[in-house]
Amino acid sequence: MSISLKRAHAIFVKDYKEFSRNYALSIMLIFPIILALLLRAADAASSLPGSFATVLNLSFVFLTCFVQACLIAEEKERNTLRSLMMTPATTMDVLIGKSTLVFVMSVVVLAIATYLFGYEPASIWAFVAATILSIILYTAVGTICGLFSKTLLDASLSIIPVTIVFSGAPWGAFLVEDYPIFKVLDYMPSSQLVHLLGLPPTDFTTGELLNPLLIILAWTVVLTIVSVVLYQRRLKDE
Amino acid sequence: MDVIQVEHIRKRFGNKDALADVSFSIPKGEIFGFLGPSGSGKTTLIKILTAQLNPTSGQASVFNEPAEMMNHSAQKMRFGILTDNSGLYERLSIEENLELYRQLYDLPKSSIDKVLQFVNLSGERKKKVKLLSKGMRQRVMLACAIIHEPELLFLDEPTSALDPVNSLHIYKGLRYLNEKGTTIFLTTHDMAEAELICNRVAILYQGQIQTIGSPKELKKQHRENVVSVDLINGEAYELPIGEGTADQIADWMKRGLIDRLETKEPSLGDIFIKMTGSELL
Repeated sequence: MSISLKRAHAIFVKDYKEFSRNYALSIMLIFPIILALLLRAADAASSLPGSFATVLNLSFVFLTCFVQACLIAEEKERNTLRSLMMTPATTMDVLIGKSTLVFVMSVVVLAIATYLFGYEPASIWAFVAATILSIILYTAVGTICGLFSKTLLDASLSIIPVTIVFSGAPWGAFLVEDYPIFKVLDYMPSSQLVHLLGLPPTDFTTGELLNPLLIILAWTVVLTIVSVVLYQRRLKDE
Repeated sequence: MDVIQVEHIRKRFGNKDALADVSFSIPKGEIFGFLGPSGSGKTTLIKILTAQLNPTSGQASVFNEPAEMMNHSAQKMRFGILTDNSGLYERLSIEENLELYRQLYDLPKSSIDKVLQFVNLSGERKKKVKLLSKGMRQRVMLACAIIHEPELLFLDEPTSALDPVNSLHIYKGLRYLNEKGTTIFLTTHDMAEAELICNRVAILYQGQIQTIGSPKELKKQHRENVVSVDLINGEAYELPIGEGTADQIADWMKRGLIDRLETKEPSLGDIFIKMTGSELL
């Protein structure tokens, strides 16, 4: 499938202009920063385990996933996505253009949140890779939510199951002794991020670093493919 | 050369035929009207021709390529589409909306000025779309559909939301485009609109084409062979066309008795009702 960076860029610029004038949505940009400041204060007082992973996991859902879902759902609601698909822009041009805005915003805001929280990763490269993969993953989840939503309200509600399944997974893992089935939650990308971010600054093995990364990568690849296929199918009438 | 060819197209949704064995062709440079009431299958056909929908059976080709190829970028450069499913970005200005389309079609900056002049919105270019009236929005959507001066333009009920003044403005624009070589495929349930701008029309009812031809031909075919005469003394007659009637009218004329004389020509709306036994809605 052909990709035109020029067309993807045009869609990115259009989305940026729309987003910057949509205050109901752009206010979500401050969510990770406020969460980082709040949990930093709590962490300093009680040394909460995995608190920075919680900042990231919630930010991925409420910024990355939510904004992407709303951008897609709004285009569907106003029929602009259909009009876009009637231009020479391909599926990939549209998806890349639309996802780039959410990707750039997430990277910038999470970098600020990381700085404000004062988190120091065991491996900066592993941390950057896991964060980037997670942003792509949650953008794909947001695309899927947007495609299944007919209105902006639907998109907002669709975030609830994502929050429970993805952000709640690391907490569910605490119940594994009572409910062994919850062991599967350990394979969720959010749980893997908790493991990765919880590694001590020294004294960790390459396996401990790579395993979570590979599991997050697998989730990212699968969900990205699903979002592209669903996008093509749901925009074709049958 | 035919721009569109449709052969025995059938589209079934569940157990209902939206289109049942539809065939026709449209030569280059024609304004073709596809007429029918709401729900008669007009939009379904546009969706098939623009690769948004696959037919259940039959074949459709556009620019001598199968219609399924119309979702390729190179083919999309060649056509424009305005449907009731078209949308605009509300928070952006008219100019910003058009700027997106300009970049997607890789056009020079001057194309925005040109198309804004065409839809008579040059003075409003900085206005946000959310502040526009329905008529102005429709004109902006038309501008988006024709900014790349397409070879083929699909219009689905283009004036359904417009007042007569805005409609006339759109008709004028469409004729101008057509003179420059754009083939236009128009669906409407407004028979007067079709009569005004179409070279040829097809009447679609319950998924089937009932008749096809130029408005003039169709009117001729369905003309009632009677002459209506009003005399100055208030008497009115409807006489069958023939030698006797000609003599009678000649006599009235010589005596200066005729107030009004006309052949009874049906409108496309009358023809539609005659063929389907149904009113247009």
